[in-house]
Amino acid sequence: MRQQNAPMPPLKTVGHATPRIDAAERVTGKATYTNDVRLPGMLYARILRSAHPHARIRRIDISKALALPGVKTILTHENCEIVWGAGGISGGQQYNDDIKKITKHRRYVFNNPVRFVGDPVAAVAAVNRHVAEEALRLIQVDYEVLNFVLEPEEALKPDAVKIWPEGNLSLNAQNQAQPATTRRGNVEDGFRASDVVFEDRYTTAFVHNAQMEPRSCIATWEGDKLTLYTPTQGISNCRSDTARDLGIPQEKVQIICQYMGGGFGNKNQNQDADLITAMLSKQAGAPVKLEFTRKDDFIGVHGRWPTVQYYKVGVSRDGVLKAIQLRGYSGMGPYRKNTGAIGGIDLYQCPHIESVIYPVYTNKTVSGNFRGPEYPQGFYGIESMMDDVAYKLKMDPVEFILKNMTRKSRDEVPYTNYSLEECIHRGAEAFEWKKRWRPQPGSDGGPIKRGAGVSFMAFRSALGRSNAVIRLDAKGKYSVFVGVTDIGAGAKTTMAMIAAEALAVPLSKVEVVWGDTDRCPYSVGESGSRTTIQTGYAVIQAADALKRQIAEKGLPTGQNVLVGSASPNPVLDGKVRAAFGAHFVEVEVDTDLGTVRVLKYLAVHDSGRIMNPLAAKSQIKGGAIMGIGMALHEDLIYDRRNGQPLTAGFYGARLMTHRDAPEIEVMFIESDDGYGPYGAKSIGESSKVPAVAAVANAVFNAIGWRMKDLPITRDKILGALA
Amino acid sequence: MAKTKIKKKISRRKFLQGTGAAFAVATAAPTVEAQNPATIATAEAVPRTTIRITVNGTPRRIEVEDRWTLVEVLRDHFGMTGTKIGCDRGECGACTVLLDGKPVYSCSNLAVWADGRSVQTIEGLAQNGRLDPLQQAFIEHDGPQCGFCTSGQLMSAKGLLTRNPHPNANDVRAAMTGNLCRCSNYNHYVEAILAAAKGGSR
Repeated sequence: MRQQNAPMPPLKTVGHATPRIDAAERVTGKATYTNDVRLPGMLYARILRSAHPHARIRRIDISKALALPGVKTILTHENCEIVWGAGGISGGQQYNDDIKKITKHRRYVFNNPVRFVGDPVAAVAAVNRHVAEEALRLIQVDYEVLNFVLEPEEALKPDAVKIWPEGNLSLNAQNQAQPATTRRGNVEDGFRASDVVFEDRYTTAFVHNAQMEPRSCIATWEGDKLTLYTPTQGISNCRSDTARDLGIPQEKVQIICQYMGGGFGNKNQNQDADLITAMLSKQAGAPVKLEFTRKDDFIGVHGRWPTVQYYKVGVSRDGVLKAIQLRGYSGMGPYRKNTGAIGGIDLYQCPHIESVIYPVYTNKTVSGNFRGPEYPQGFYGIESMMDDVAYKLKMDPVEFILKNMTRKSRDEVPYTNYSLEECIHRGAEAFEWKKRWRPQPGSDGGPIKRGAGVSFMAFRSALGRSNAVIRLDAKGKYSVFVGVTDIGAGAKTTMAMIAAEALAVPLSKVEVVWGDTDRCPYSVGESGSRTTIQTGYAVIQAADALKRQIAEKGLPTGQNVLVGSASPNPVLDGKVRAAFGAHFVEVEVDTDLGTVRVLKYLAVHDSGRIMNPLAAKSQIKGGAIMGIGMALHEDLIYDRRNGQPLTAGFYGARLMTHRDAPEIEVMFIESDDGYGPYGAKSIGESSKVPAVAAVANAVFNAIGWRMKDLPITRDKILGALA
Repeated sequence: MAKTKIKKKISRRKFLQGTGAAFAVATAAPTVEAQNPATIATAEAVPRTTIRITVNGTPRRIEVEDRWTLVEVLRDHFGMTGTKIGCDRGECGACTVLLDGKPVYSCSNLAVWADGRSVQTIEGLAQNGRLDPLQQAFIEHDGPQCGFCTSGQLMSAKGLLTRNPHPNANDVRAAMTGNLCRCSNYNHYVEAILAAAKGGSR
């Protein structure tokens, strides 16, 4: 194993800024995304969604819609009783055979009762999309409207309407209505040992993934074999989920996803769209293309879970943490798709911690994984809290972080290497923290005030199973078969670069075969920032296997080919791998208008060895800008009177635009801990993790008023300062 | 001017209300363009118009349903799928094309409004097999991540550089603000456009 943080010898291909191998397709419109596929005789499908946040369907009359010329088939809960396994899971963990058996609160593709505005009620396949849309208007649904509840804390009150018979606390993986609880030491002892104890409450909003490509799916059957073109982050798990849900063997399902227009966590696993399209196609006996409208996508596909976080923190007078207690509530919508965890406490060293998180059913749009699932919102809460504690102890927040941040994973397990201190020291210096930070928050005179904020992060970079196959033909072409899709992070290019490096051949000799379960081996999928680490490692192993073949048999001639393959499942010996980082932000707040402008933004990251600095910078910048949006703009607002979502769309939810986005400076601290492909660690999600908290803390430093509810919009700032 | 006449007849609102038979737009003879038979199967109640548009320099004639948007015609009937639909409601810019040289959202223009006009799409940006300097700069600066917004970004940028060949960064941000990128690679897009502008002035 290489020594920690030792200087790394440069490599030939890996580590050099490289334009994507498929960039030309992306800038000429030739890249084929799901909706660009068109099959002969294909029908078009649309979905009718619940107009109510909670209602029982008494009667559904599809006769008029069916009579419309051009309508081919209609599915409702009455003729389609398929369970979307990954859509509702006890405990919210990965969907599999075991969890399928025990999950109690199942999500059907069409539910009755419907439990949120947007719950699918019917799907129509027709000769074209206009007829399908027309048909939706002819479906008559007789609803018995039920009471609804939108906020997680309200949903746990005894008089709240029960969304499921067992109540609104979502069941865990053992099917018990228990909050997710983590304890170390005893917080009461910790508070007794503290000189000062602080308490506060923070809330975060539902933020939609809002990837540019709306969900669409094309299904076609040849006999009993189903082919799905679908935008998914993981063709392998999309296939296994779909086979499980439809009750057919995996070999009878082919998933194709090559170019994909973003997902950020909401195209993991399979989707209800996949199942609906497959069933429409089966019933109609023709290929079907289902298209989600943007509103469909915004309310029918999950976003980040909103949270309420109550913290109690005990410290010594010199700023050493003694105890942290969190009671948190996560609004999961009416189906449990993911964990609803609230991360952050694990990144502090503290002898006594207690975290009790209630994942709660509500009648809002379903929540699930979105870039760094539990961290950006959790980190906003705890980092705001800790920032506040630092000021109250008259400490510089940087000093407080350095004193209390994680040094071992959960205070127990050593990291494979550790560079958090370096990230913070080097970042603070480059950012000129001492110059930009105001020891007295809100002290600038005049209506325009400046301030600086900081946050840090550690993000999992675990090893794991994956596969790769490399084939060499007589022409000297190396074909790398990997089960990745390219969701935007550049996986295809990264795999080609790693293969070129491992094979010691030029990048131009390498092609990548990807995104088709009939051609590619299993891959974990583009989620959890794992592709480079896991599949990249498999590529190196497959290259080694191929090199051994070449050594044994010589280079192939004629029609012969040589194939090297590998299915490694590397493990860490009692250590934890993590990427580290720190973000520094300077903002300017116009206290007359309530607007916040980011003046300077520095993101310092240790993601191990950087495979492709060009794409890695894009990932960091994008995550930081998304984080700014989450801090300042984005929200899916509901009308409390009728449970209707009011801002379902790009414009309403106020995504960041060209004009909002500041220049993000990126600094990499590279290291090789001896694991992963050439020492690569995770990048994709980690860049969003500290961004939200850093911006919020900068706003505090500028105006001297702690903003405790996301997003920090103009009205809230003006309200606070009024 | 035919286009304005039709524009007056068919408001977006009425269009959204459905296929009311209120518009007596003459349907013309069989079309030149091959159409998916599925799209005409139930069309007897739907007003249709034959339009002439020049797409990437090639004159085309097609009979369209009056409710079809420009992007629908480009993607479904001309098979030019480089133009993407991100929202279909004028919010994201993924469908941006140049209409008589000006960037427009092709999801928010009816095809009939483009009658007699000239459309440039992403497929027409490279000339004679040579990438436009903007395309080259997008590649070099890693503009596209997922790439779904990229066609629209390129067409907006093309429109900008046509009317202002030497923009500064703020000009670029202002001109491009109607083109969302959820991967949020805004920094790289701006850099790429400035680099292309610089290269072009040499």
